Amino acid sequence: MTRSNKGMNILVALIVAVIGLAVLFPFFWMVRSSFMSNIEIHKYPPLILPTTWRLDNYPYTLSVFPSLRYMVNSLTITIPSILGVLLTSTLAAYAFARLDFPLKRLWFTLIIGSMLMPGAVTIIPIFVAWSAVGLSNGYVPLIVPAFLGGFAVNIFLCRQFLMTIPRDLDEAAIIDGASHVRVLFQILAPLIRPVLIAIGLFTFILYWNDILGPLIYISRNEQNTISQALANFRSGFGTDWKSIMAASCMAITPPVLLYFVGQKYFIEGIVLSGLKA
Amino acid sequence: MKTRRTRGTTVTAYLFLTPALLGLFFITIFPMIGVIAISLTNWTGLEPPVFTGLGNFREIFTTDFYFAKSVAATLYFALGAVISGIIYAFTVALLLNRKIPGRGFWRSVFFIPYIVPSIGSCIVWSWMYESNFGVFNYFLHLVGINKIQWLQSGTFAVPSLIVMTVWGMGSMIVIFLAGLQNVPRTYLEAVEIDGGNTWHKFRHITIPMMTPVIFYNFLMSMITNLQVFVPAYALTKGEPSGRSLFMVFLIYREGFMQNNFGHASALSLIFFIFIAALTAVIFATSKKWMFYEGE
Repeated sequence: MTRSNKGMNILVALIVAVIGLAVLFPFFWMVRSSFMSNIEIHKYPPLILPTTWRLDNYPYTLSVFPSLRYMVNSLTITIPSILGVLLTSTLAAYAFARLDFPLKRLWFTLIIGSMLMPGAVTIIPIFVAWSAVGLSNGYVPLIVPAFLGGFAVNIFLCRQFLMTIPRDLDEAAIIDGASHVRVLFQILAPLIRPVLIAIGLFTFILYWNDILGPLIYISRNEQNTISQALANFRSGFGTDWKSIMAASCMAITPPVLLYFVGQKYFIEGIVLSGLKA
Repeated sequence: MKTRRTRGTTVTAYLFLTPALLGLFFITIFPMIGVIAISLTNWTGLEPPVFTGLGNFREIFTTDFYFAKSVAATLYFALGAVISGIIYAFTVALLLNRKIPGRGFWRSVFFIPYIVPSIGSCIVWSWMYESNFGVFNYFLHLVGINKIQWLQSGTFAVPSLIVMTVWGMGSMIVIFLAGLQNVPRTYLEAVEIDGGNTWHKFRHITIPMMTPVIFYNFLMSMITNLQVFVPAYALTKGEPSGRSLFMVFLIYREGFMQNNFGHASALSLIFFIFIAALTAVIFATSKKWMFYEGE
């Protein structure tokens, strides 16, 4: 490497560090505020760090904002949804990647086309339909869609990945008398594990962070999801910023932890969806 | 070799596809028909709907005070966020594409805001934007600029939301970076051999090779950001004077806070046509600037 190239790299590394620290700043600000008193939060010029770290903000916040219950509510929706997405999107992807059947192109085009369809357009008729069957107040309308194909983008991702796996493997198994269900779940699923994990993680994030769905279908406070409860908490406790910040820290912790654990899959998943399309 | 089409595989295929096809019909096709049907009524959910023809649409285009504002706000926000987002993400990706120390670490850092619940981002950003105690106004003060009412001023409210949104676009950086790593080294070396400099490589190889990735990011990000909801719901409530009255927030407000199902469905349908038209325009113009390998 030439000298000017090396100098250039140091400069670039510095610029990246500055932008990176700026990107981290809101997290720092959230955490630091969650350990302050409301008086300290309202100091101007702003304090960089709390004068004393008030750990008891957290027990106090838990007493006015039962995070754990809201998180359990979120998980009650999220976990079945992840299962539904993984199960039904791989089934559809297998049909498109491996089987030949009448109207295949039509269905594929329609399902892929539905990817471009903005979900917000149909919230009213779908709500009306759930009301008509008396299920518009609860978790069912939020979970069921996950079992109906698990969103077009996931079908597409799985299919793209299945197409890269040589057919010899599953054809041999079929000739030996294995069923398609066995081929999919015992032979192919382990081979596309990274995609499945990525889909699972992104589904978690999608449901954990969603607000519009819970707003429409969950009215009772004790059934609220964590993100929904946090939004209500902010509008209801507008001045108690230390608790709002502590509640925010708690709400973002599970996705952030999951990201640290499954980083590789998150990044791979994003790259796959971006480059396979 | 292809699995032969037999009655057996057809049955299996349709069994496997049943959930997805149910989804296609019950989540997409029937609700679309439902939106059209409800939009032709004055339904409020309480009394049986009365057919009013195109009345809702006439009302929206003539007397609805909010509609034009909402379209303008949505388009301004989405275009602003997507264009700034692409510039931000592409720049950072170019920087990260060099062999710098800690590259993997920084890539992870830039990605984190993408997975944070948007309500969490809204809360901390709204506190940083706060006009009396917020840290942004303090930074301005340090360089001698007066306080700005970030989220309350007509000029700054939407740009403030755009900055917050762009912060959350870390996924785009990852996609751009992967795209950059797929640019064949041989092409870049060819420019070098011909005496080209960094700018030539960037302008004549990198940019053309990246157009499909830019296109994908632009399209997907437009569709996502046209549906912006949380910042309007949690922070600005459509204010100041309709500048953040984004379409989905308006639909939600009409449909679920005021129970005007008919009116809200008409808005949804217009919103759909609006996005579809925009997508068509993006696809049509993409032929002019998109580069396909092998062409």
